[in-house]
Amino acid sequence: MIPVLAYAVTALAVLWCGLCAWLGWRDRLINDGVLLVAAVLEIGLVVLAVLAVARFRQIDPAAEGATFLAYALSLPAVPPFATLLAIREKSRWSMIVGVVAGFTVAVMAARIAQIWSLYA
Amino acid sequence: MPDTPASATPSNSTGRGPGTVIVALYAVLALAATGRSVLQITEYFSRAPLAYVLSAVAAAIYLVAAFALATGRRTLATAACTVELVGVLAVGLASYAAAEHFPDKTVWSHFGSGYGYVPLVLPVIGLWWLRRTTTPPRT
Repeated sequence: MIPVLAYAVTALAVLWCGLCAWLGWRDRLINDGVLLVAAVLEIGLVVLAVLAVARFRQIDPAAEGATFLAYALSLPAVPPFATLLAIREKSRWSMIVGVVAGFTVAVMAARIAQIWSLYA
Repeated sequence: MPDTPASATPSNSTGRGPGTVIVALYAVLALAATGRSVLQITEYFSRAPLAYVLSAVAAAIYLVAAFALATGRRTLATAACTVELVGVLAVGLASYAAAEHFPDKTVWSHFGSGYGYVPLVLPVIGLWWLRRTTTPPRT
């Protein structure tokens, strides 16, 4: 369950990142599509965080388990904050925030999946 | 809410345009450093107290920098970026010279290599951005 969800979240984050890049490229501001992807991504990240709290003790080197938990708990903060910054900014840079945030979520979620499959 | 012209709010210009992205990058680093240092300090502090305390200090400074840049507090932002630059250089050197005190990766050890060298590059970008957005003298 955890790796499947983590990879699904990674894919969504890549989609979010790409959508923002495309809008930024075309000099557009944030739109409903981006908001929807961010909202679905957020739900996935919250579920992932809850699952991680419940199961992180199954990861053997405690240090890896701690990293796993830290990532899972940090991730839900990213989409809302990025969306806030993106709405506040009224230029092309608005969507570049989404690119940075999407990339961050994708990398961290992929790392979560990797830690789980290596050490759990 | 009507947009105020840029000239009316020079103090807030650090958080606009490309500055938004810089604020976002600082926020991401603050998040990463906070998460890591909270767990390091609560779970196995005794292993490397110095490195973990520095992680927490770095996290706090990134938060301050993100906040100062977002709200256009130039002096505070300049101070935070400068401390970061000094910190990443000092801890980067120390982590090679005294490796036994830095058993785990922290944000600043090895010049931030665990974070794609972003901790080394970001304060430079931050300081450059603060310089660039300084209102030029009017003629």
